Amino acid sequence: MSVDTTDVSRETLVRPIGTLSKQYLLALVAALGAIGVWVFFYLQQLQHGLIVTNLADWGSGGGVPWGLYIGAFIWWVGIAHGGIILSAAVRLLGMDRYQPVARMAELLTIAALTCAGVFILIHVGRPDRLVTSVLPAWPTRVQWSPLMWDVTVITAYFVLTATYLALTIRYDIHRLRDRLPDQLEPVYAVLMVGYSEREDAIVERMVWWIAFAIIIMAPLLLHGGVIPWLFALLPSMAGWAGGVQGPSFLSIALTSAVSGIIIVAASFRRAYGWEELVPVEVFRGLAKWLGFFGLIFLWLQLQQVITGIFAAPTTLQHATEVKIATPVYWVAIGLVLAAMLYVFACSLRPSLFSIPVLVALSFGVLVGTLVEKVLFVVEGLQHAHFQLYDGVPGVYVPSPVELSALLGTVGIVVLFFLVVAKVIPVVELHAIEAAHEGGDDA
Amino acid sequence: MDDEGRLPFDDQSETEMRRVLSETEYDTDLGLEMARDAQRVVAGELSDAEFYARYHEDMLEEFGQDARELPELRDDLDGEVVSETSDATSVRESLAALADREDVSRRELLAKGGAAAAALSVFAGAGSGSGGEHGDTPTDGDGTRWGMVINLNNCDGCLACVSACSQEHGLSRGANWMYVFTYEDRNQDDENFLVRPCQHCTDSPCTKVCPVGARHTRDEDGLVLTDYDICIGCRYCEVSCPYGVNYFQWGEPDVPDAEIPNEHQLDDRGKWVGSRPPEGVMGKCTFCVDRQDGQMGEERVGTTACEEACAMDAIHFGDLNDEESAPNQHLHEYRGEQENDRSSFPDRTEHTVSTFNLLEERGTSPNVHYIGNEPSPHAEQVEGPVSYEDVGLVDDRSEVLDDGAAANEEGEEA
Ligand code: SF4
Ligand code: SF4
Repeated sequence: MSVDTTDVSRETLVRPIGTLSKQYLLALVAALGAIGVWVFFYLQQLQHGLIVTNLADWGSGGGVPWGLYIGAFIWWVGIAHGGIILSAAVRLLGMDRYQPVARMAELLTIAALTCAGVFILIHVGRPDRLVTSVLPAWPTRVQWSPLMWDVTVITAYFVLTATYLALTIRYDIHRLRDRLPDQLEPVYAVLMVGYSEREDAIVERMVWWIAFAIIIMAPLLLHGGVIPWLFALLPSMAGWAGGVQGPSFLSIALTSAVSGIIIVAASFRRAYGWEELVPVEVFRGLAKWLGFFGLIFLWLQLQQVITGIFAAPTTLQHATEVKIATPVYWVAIGLVLAAMLYVFACSLRPSLFSIPVLVALSFGVLVGTLVEKVLFVVEGLQHAHFQLYDGVPGVYVPSPVELSALLGTVGIVVLFFLVVAKVIPVVELHAIEAAHEGGDDA
Repeated sequence: MDDEGRLPFDDQSETEMRRVLSETEYDTDLGLEMARDAQRVVAGELSDAEFYARYHEDMLEEFGQDARELPELRDDLDGEVVSETSDATSVRESLAALADREDVSRRELLAKGGAAAAALSVFAGAGSGSGGEHGDTPTDGDGTRWGMVINLNNCDGCLACVSACSQEHGLSRGANWMYVFTYEDRNQDDENFLVRPCQHCTDSPCTKVCPVGARHTRDEDGLVLTDYDICIGCRYCEVSCPYGVNYFQWGEPDVPDAEIPNEHQLDDRGKWVGSRPPEGVMGKCTFCVDRQDGQMGEERVGTTACEEACAMDAIHFGDLNDEESAPNQHLHEYRGEQENDRSSFPDRTEHTVSTFNLLEERGTSPNVHYIGNEPSPHAEQVEGPVSYEDVGLVDDRSEVLDDGAAANEEGEEA
């Protein structure tokens, strides 16, 4: 099924840049408000220390030293990694149909990585030392600490994604320059430094290779590697160990990233009347990916539950039993399951398909994956191999301070898209060009 | 502890020993018997003195002189054994060294080491590595390695160690660097105790995972410490430690910095690793690093606050690599004291004292060794004879932390 978007005019593409609607302002206020609420709470944390969270020591204290902050960190990193993997797949495999959402996926990656960074910043007890302690330690610690691997790999991917984005943006700005606002000239001037049309072919090739690297490294290093290794390599907690964490984390990343892209794309489509630019076929396609990744997610959960309860060692069995006895775990599973079933039902009966329903289910999936990640961290910590502490497991319910950070980071992502949409086209020019000048047909 | 360190005294080696001994002028049975006991000396199950006393008569009777007069033996050897042996009365090292030497001819050995050495020569060069870990004390290599032997059979759950630690290091309420469990276990009627400091693991996961190298093992003596100036407070060490011994400083410490003299905070390398951590930084038992560095006087080197406070003689701190240190001595003595009627029960092992490392299967190589029973997976913590509240401590720290910022202000007033 090929979707022809080549008739769409360049006007349509730059539509968000020129206009200013009431809805836009509303969204802007909402985003700033969300960020404001978080900043208010975070200032308390800065003043009093992490004591204002509901985190505590495990052991005699019976608490969890890692909680929502780390769960949300993994979740955002997952969205980011999934986003860049999908965008890379589009370029690498020449899946032109998804070209209209490729850049949104890249932008989502940048925004989500920023949020992940925010969570690391607010998670640590001494944010003031993040640079002074981490940089000097890097050469000696990077081969040891999984946390250092994470910081390294995530930074590398941030740079890679930003490069990738900047390179493809130059092509567009050059050709759309006359339609872009003059007030932003200095920004474009910076973005276009040293540009000449001769670089286009080279950039196409470079982008292909970067995409190739991302696809190869994603399962090995990224969300199938360093992130699950944060947990899977430790000798302390029964629920975290095991090689299944890699595939499981990757499946969650992809599932949540597709959901995120669906929501972003549907929002732009609605706000700017982009029915032609982002046709319904794109959503049908994304929905299938969502169903497929959801299936893999559920399959890997099943693996963990069955191997954890059948005849597992006592501590693992205990951890698994607690997991499946937690109602909110089933809410998470149910949300992903619902999305998957809907998608499969739509394949059988295409008339069932509706973008609003898909968007609603995507929100559900994002909630589900977030819940799963937080539970993974928290319940993992509540069921250590060393079981003698009476206080373990204690209770952990995220505090308002912690929850506000979730709100704040969602605000950051919304704000990011609102601002970026006023500066550059969030859909590539390639998406509406008849023939791509070489490159992505590999 | 197991006895894997002992060389296998199986049929094959016995046959070989008989053959060796038959070539000598020694009585074969006596030689074999001595070899067996010599092995126990090597394994630390039999004291040098006992070994000596047991065979002195026999030797005089048979040979007119006791070939095991070791100072003499050492003089005859080419100096190597001497340099390895610091203590002039230690038969143990000499025998171990002799049994391991490849360059000493069997004849030479026979002449100098007596029947025991002759028999043991069967194992010579077999790569037995009979030192340290393989023996019955937790020695391993050269250099200082601070550690503990905690005799849980002596503990009465009075929490004196917990209080002393908290006092000495200025810990915030609920940050029980030293912690004592009272627990009930299957098939055990009475109360049991588990005394839990940081295990100062040789293969510590906490030092491996620390992203900035703040949690580290001090080269000179194996102490696992946190550099309070570098720690970013990520709590990865706490998450990776299988024992739950880390206590993060969630808010303002109860004891202000001004009340803690510098010499308790800075170690001999000038790093800030001692006493309670500042806000936002990780803390845990330091094995009283200030004492070990002589900051509390020479007489306190090799002691800890908890050990001093323990009236029941349960905690024994010292250099685990030193046979004569308090923990190793206690292990020897305690084993010696326990009745073990091996004449009626010849199949019994040399001693009946149960020892263990906590969660040995986690691969952390702890430097805290326990005498007593290891809690089973069914063990359950119960209220102890003395409660934490009774002695002015907080057991469950979350009670303090739940007050959140309010606890901070209280802490400042306290
Ligand atoms: S007991 Fe825990 S904190 Fe102490 S050295 Fe071992 S792993 Fe590290
Ligand atoms: S909390 Fe401090 S000592 Fe522990 S791992 Fe993090 S930086 Fe290292």
